[in-house]
Amino acid sequence: MNKELIVTVILICQALAWPVVADTDEKLLGDESDGSRAVSIHLIPLYPENEDGEKGFKIAGDDEILLPFSTNWTCGACHSYATIKSGWHFNAVDANVAPGRPGQPWILVDASISTQIPLSYRPWPQTFKPEQVGLTPRQFTKLFGRHTPGGGAGELESQDPDEFMREFISGKLEINCLTCHNADPEQDQTEYAIQIARENFRWAAAASCEFADVSGSAIDMPDTYDPFMPMPLDDPKKTPPSITYRENTFDEDNWVFFDIVRKIPNERCYFCHSNLDIGDNNPERWAADEDVHLTAGLRCVDCHRNSVEHNIIRGYEAEEADSKNPLVAVSSCEGCHLGQKSSSNLLIKGRLGAPVPEHPGIPPVHFDKLSCTACHSGPWPGEKTILTKTSRAHSLGIAGINKSPEVLPHIITVVLAKQSNGKIAPHKMFWPAFWGALKDEKVTPINLEVVRKTVRRILAKQKLPRSGDWRTLTAENIIEGLNSLQKKTEGKAVYISGGKLYQIDNKGKLIAVEHDAAKPYLWPIAHDVRPAAQSLGVRRCEDCHATDAPFFFGAVAVDSPIAAERDLSKEMIEFQDINRFYTWAFAFSFVFRPWLKVVALGCCGIIGGVILLYALRALACVVKLLTGRS
Amino acid sequence: MFRTLSTIVFLATFLGIGICCVLFPCCKECRWRPLAILRRAIRIFTMLFLEQKLSLVGALRKLVYLLALLYFLVLAITSFYPVLVLKEPIHGYWLMLHATFAPVFAICLAVLAVMWAGNCRFNKSDWPWLTRILERVTLVKSSSEETVSEAPGLGQKITFWLIVVLALPLILSIILSMFSLFGTYWQELLLDIHRYTALAFAVVAIVHTYLVLRAKMKE
Repeated sequence: MNKELIVTVILICQALAWPVVADTDEKLLGDESDGSRAVSIHLIPLYPENEDGEKGFKIAGDDEILLPFSTNWTCGACHSYATIKSGWHFNAVDANVAPGRPGQPWILVDASISTQIPLSYRPWPQTFKPEQVGLTPRQFTKLFGRHTPGGGAGELESQDPDEFMREFISGKLEINCLTCHNADPEQDQTEYAIQIARENFRWAAAASCEFADVSGSAIDMPDTYDPFMPMPLDDPKKTPPSITYRENTFDEDNWVFFDIVRKIPNERCYFCHSNLDIGDNNPERWAADEDVHLTAGLRCVDCHRNSVEHNIIRGYEAEEADSKNPLVAVSSCEGCHLGQKSSSNLLIKGRLGAPVPEHPGIPPVHFDKLSCTACHSGPWPGEKTILTKTSRAHSLGIAGINKSPEVLPHIITVVLAKQSNGKIAPHKMFWPAFWGALKDEKVTPINLEVVRKTVRRILAKQKLPRSGDWRTLTAENIIEGLNSLQKKTEGKAVYISGGKLYQIDNKGKLIAVEHDAAKPYLWPIAHDVRPAAQSLGVRRCEDCHATDAPFFFGAVAVDSPIAAERDLSKEMIEFQDINRFYTWAFAFSFVFRPWLKVVALGCCGIIGGVILLYALRALACVVKLLTGRS
Repeated sequence: MFRTLSTIVFLATFLGIGICCVLFPCCKECRWRPLAILRRAIRIFTMLFLEQKLSLVGALRKLVYLLALLYFLVLAITSFYPVLVLKEPIHGYWLMLHATFAPVFAICLAVLAVMWAGNCRFNKSDWPWLTRILERVTLVKSSSEETVSEAPGLGQKITFWLIVVLALPLILSIILSMFSLFGTYWQELLLDIHRYTALAFAVVAIVHTYLVLRAKMKE
């Protein structure tokens, strides 16, 4: 009887659960291609999100209160928003996602407290979670959402009661599909960034597109403001966020045309993925060449592909261990150029017209020790590393930024360092600088607000350069800063900078020690790829195997606000985990390499001559015998 | 594959030499007493010294031979020790030592080829059976050729010429890979040629050294 009851209950539960399961698995109109290669025309109705976070009523041009369209409800009508959300660009906050190879972190910079610190929601070694420095997801979004396609931290529910009302006013920063997929030339990511700075998260996507204008700021609104039932404000100077749709945006059915493309234009990627190398040898963009693949006519998305899951291929070697994208193995450098077994076990090489490299004269051992990018990507290594800027770290592409070459964060390139897979690859790098607490040999950063309240006042004695560079710190400044922080810190207050950990000893003196937390953060780079004729080693082996070759012996700048450490540098080889003397001696042996070749070829000539001589004599004997002569 | 093959080949070579020593001792009254073994070892060692009776060319020839033997040892150790014992491809200091000693060894081989080739050329006494067959086929009576009393035996001659012939692919395979002529496929092929030729060369050189020592012991 009991068994029957249990079975009945289970069956009822399953029956109840069925619609939920069915809903999750259901594919929407745009989730699956019908096979047509033609562009799908996106003439669609716009839907906002209502105050309950649900789908609102269709937006019409003559609505009394105009709301911005929600990508969740507008695009999500045909494309599974939840599926897209699991994509690489949006899933950093999901702890279950494999972090993959370490990439560029978000670098929190505050020159006033001499801080540049790597942050990431992904568990990449040597990065810190935003909450470790006291940043809520909302604050993180406000700081860094400018160079994201939305989603991720922008959609997390705030856990801070003080932020509940602010979150209601500003809304969530939904995935902005238009960031990548809108081919209209008026798609404006700078406007998107401005809206995020104003906390107009809900309006940001609409503001960035070609047919909507957003004015006002959520940041100015009082906590009691209701964006769904806006009331006039007491302060006439403050403008609530509002949207206007341009004339002729809506057709007679109140549908709107979006110029949506599957193959994303490179310029869309460039907004977040540009970089600018600083230095005399590095010309401005107009004088520099693009990545050889783009020059050949490829697009970023030809290699960096994804399905509706948006599990975009990052393109690094052995990415198949981290990604479920079926094309991942055949889309790396080796995958296209050398050929890799695809999921269907077919050897695919020469994809997209990729030439199969010959590498004449390059001993195969190089391919075990170096990544392809070591010779082919990034700037040619120089005697000393240079500073570089990236979109995400330096807000490139946004109006009004500090264009000074020295502006923080100081990212150094090109550093040829060993990766976790044991291969040397070109990296970008920066030296963390932050105020932290040392406890049980572990350093954790101190909440930034605490540091700002305590240390900023002390460091203000030193002038803050207008260029955005470090203010120059002395040992006294740091001692004073550490002493003031000590009262508010669990553990011992320390300052990390230039690869060292600074702390005050028992006698009150500042001492610097090596510490893991002070190690630089490096991330590998893959672009711009140079043509084969400009790759390392193309001239001769001495491009790398010389006793002064930058590849091994170039100077890597140590970056620090501390005056005494400004001009220090390390050798490239310190990042490669190889023996310096051996590398030097091996490089030195290349001086004798031409002699070796001459001697060996000469010896072969002599030996060959002896063999030939005696072979001919033997032949003469045979001939004599066969002709009947003794 | 190469490691397994090398191990088998080296074991077979040393085993073969061992069996040969036991079955065909170089001196009739060979004894396996410790004193006799010591005496024989000292005798082998004294062979390394230059004899008074040698001419300048003879001394040079012996010196070059000894130098080649020493360098062969170094090259064999630096190449096969990492592969067979450490189970890793030759790299680091092993590789540097190998590349430093290799050119001198090549010079020694070239000098030896020039100096020893005359002595090591084959003559009728090396192949009496072949001579008999040829005489029957051609009906020509071969003239009796003077035989050099110091001429090495057939085994030594064969191994000498094998060494000389193997030296060519051995050296060329690695030197050619240093020029910007061959792509990755050919580079790998050249490396394989170098590896397998080196194995064959090492075996032949060991057998040749054994035969030389055996002949000297007989004297």
